[in-house]
Amino acid sequence: MTMQSTEMVLELTNVTMRFRQRQRGTDLGSILRGLVSPVFKTVTALDGLSLRVARGEVVAYAGANGAGKSTTIKLCTGLIRPETGTVSALGLDPSRDRVKYVGRIGVVFGQRSELWFDQPVSASFNWKRVVWDIPDDRYKAMEGLVRELLGLDSFYNTTARELSLGQRMRADLGLALLHEPELLFLDEPTLGLDALAKKQMLNIIKHLNEQNNITAIVTSHDMSELEQLAGRIVLMHQGRMAFDGDFDMLRREFSDWRYLVIDTPGAAPVLNMADYIASDGSRHSYRFNTAEITVAELLARASAQQQINDVETHRPDIDEVIAGIYEKWSVGSPADQHVATKQTETVHPSL
Amino acid sequence: MTVVKLRKTLRQIGRLLAVHSMLDLMLMTRSTAEFWIWAITDTIMNAAAVAGMVMLATRFHGIGGWSQPQIIFMLGFGAFSKGMVNLLFGYNVSAISRRIGRGQLDHTLIQPQPLWMAFLTEGFNPAFGLPTLVPGGALLVWSLAHMQFHSGPAWWLRFVGYMFCSIAMVIAFQWLWGSTAFYAPRAAEEINSATSELMEDLKTFPLSGRSPAVRDMLLTAVPAGFVAWAPCAALLGVPGGLHPMLAPAASAIFCGLALLAFHRGLAYYQISGSQRYSDFGHRR
Repeated sequence: MTMQSTEMVLELTNVTMRFRQRQRGTDLGSILRGLVSPVFKTVTALDGLSLRVARGEVVAYAGANGAGKSTTIKLCTGLIRPETGTVSALGLDPSRDRVKYVGRIGVVFGQRSELWFDQPVSASFNWKRVVWDIPDDRYKAMEGLVRELLGLDSFYNTTARELSLGQRMRADLGLALLHEPELLFLDEPTLGLDALAKKQMLNIIKHLNEQNNITAIVTSHDMSELEQLAGRIVLMHQGRMAFDGDFDMLRREFSDWRYLVIDTPGAAPVLNMADYIASDGSRHSYRFNTAEITVAELLARASAQQQINDVETHRPDIDEVIAGIYEKWSVGSPADQHVATKQTETVHPSL
Repeated sequence: MTVVKLRKTLRQIGRLLAVHSMLDLMLMTRSTAEFWIWAITDTIMNAAAVAGMVMLATRFHGIGGWSQPQIIFMLGFGAFSKGMVNLLFGYNVSAISRRIGRGQLDHTLIQPQPLWMAFLTEGFNPAFGLPTLVPGGALLVWSLAHMQFHSGPAWWLRFVGYMFCSIAMVIAFQWLWGSTAFYAPRAAEEINSATSELMEDLKTFPLSGRSPAVRDMLLTAVPAGFVAWAPCAALLGVPGGLHPMLAPAASAIFCGLALLAFHRGLAYYQISGSQRYSDFGHRR
C-alpha cells in the first residue's frame, strides 16, 4: 500500500503443480481391483501460474475452494516444490534455501497455531526468540510493539489453550511478527473471528504495512475484509490466475450491475429496466444492469413520474461481485472462457 | 565447518536445550494433581516393564547362560536406554510417524534451523524424562554390586558408547518405520507405537543359546538384540555374544538406512505435500 517499490520480493514463473487423487468404486470388484491396479486422477492445482509481488504490496489472494490458494502459500513458504516452473522470494529459493529464507518470512495459518498449547503465550514468544536467534534488543523492541499493537498484555501469561479464538489469532500474529519478517503470508487469518477481532486484525496488518513496509499475501474468503486491507487482488480459478488488479477494476470487469437509490416525495416510480428492491420512507432502491440501460435514462424515466429530490448510485459490494463470478464459473458461462479449464486425466501407477 | 561456526552451532544447541527444558518444567508443574498422577502411573509402567524378566531371572537363578545379576544388568541397561530415549527424544521426535502422519512436519519446516538441530533439541524433556531413568539406574546399580565386577574408567567409557549405540538403534528403527507415514499418513500415523512396543518387548530377550533363525531375526529385521543383549554381552564378557564392534556397526548401518528413508520420504513430501492436518498432540 505504502512505499511500494519496483523491487520484486516474490516471483512465481510458470508454476505448475499436479496432485494425484485416487479414484475408487464402492462395489466389491472395484475395491479388490483397486488393491492391485489403483486408478488415479491427476488434478492440476496450479496451471502455469506466474505472479510477481513488489516490496510493500499487500496482495489479496482469493479464489473459490480448490482454486489453488493453499498450494501457492505452501510453495511460497517452501513447504513444497513446484513440479515445473520456479519460485523465487527475497532472492532465494524457498525450498532449497529453507533455513535462510524462513528466517525472513512470517507465516500465519488460520487453522493451525504455532503457539505451545499448554504454555503461556509469553513462553511461546521466548521460545521463538531462541529458535529464530533474535538479538535481545530487537526482541525487546518487537515484543513491546506487538504486545501494544495486538493488545496481548491482558492474556500474555495465560495458557494458549485457555484463550478465545480472537486472542489466539492475535497471539499467533504477534508470534509471526517477532522476528520482523519482510514478507508475511496470512492464510485465512480472520477465520472464525468476530467482527471486532477481525477489525483489530486488519488494522494491525495495515499498520505494519504502512509503518514497516511489510509485504503481505493474504488469503481469505471474506472479500470485504480483503478489500479493506489490500490494494491488489489476485483471483484464482482452477489453478490459473483469472484476475490481477485492483478491486475497482475487478468490479468493472466482472460486474455490470449498479444500485440506484432515489428520493422522491411520493410512491416509488416504476422503472421497467431496473429491479425494484425496497423502499425506506421516501428512498427507493433499484438494481440495474449498465449493459442494458444507463443511469441517465433511468433518471429520465423516474423524473417523468415523480419529482426527484436526491439520487445515489453505488456498485455492488465485493462479496456480491465475487459470488457472481464464482456462480458464473461454476456453470461454465462465457466468463469461464478466458480462464483455464481444469485438466484432468486418468493415469495408472506406472505413470 | 570453521571453529567459529562450530562454536555458534554448539551455543545454539545449548540455548535450544535450555529453552526446551524450561518449557518441559513449566508443563510438568502446571498442575500438582497431574504431576502426581503422571509420576505414579509412570513408575508403575516402568516397574511393570522389567518385572516379568526380573522374576524369571530370580526364579531360575539366571537365563540362557546368563547369571541372575547379569540378566538384571541387561534389564537395567534396556530400561536406562529407554529412559534416555524418553529424555532426549520426547514430544513425538522418537515417534516421528505421528508428526509426519498428522501433517505437523510443516511446523518444523517453517523454523529457520536445520531439521537435525530441531529434532536433536525439541524432544529434550528433563522434567518428564529424568524420572524414567530411575528404574534402569537402580537395576544397573544393584546388578553391578552383585557381580564382583571391576568397572574402571575404560569400562564406563565403553558403557557410554554402547548406551549411545543402543539409543541410536532405537531411534533409527523408529524413524525407519516412521518414514512410511510420508506415503500413507493415515495408515502409518501410529506405526511408531507398534514399533516401539515391539522393540520394548524383544530388546531384553536373552539371545544366547537361541536358534540361529530367532537370533538372526532379532539382529536384522527387528534389531532388538542390539539394544541391550549384544552391548551387555560385550560389556560383561558373557560367552556366546557377538563381536564387540558389531553393535556399533549395526547402529551406524541402521542410522544410515533411517536417514535415507527419511530423506526420501521428505523429498516425496515436498512434491506431494500433506493432504492431512491434525493438531492432536502438537506441542501439548
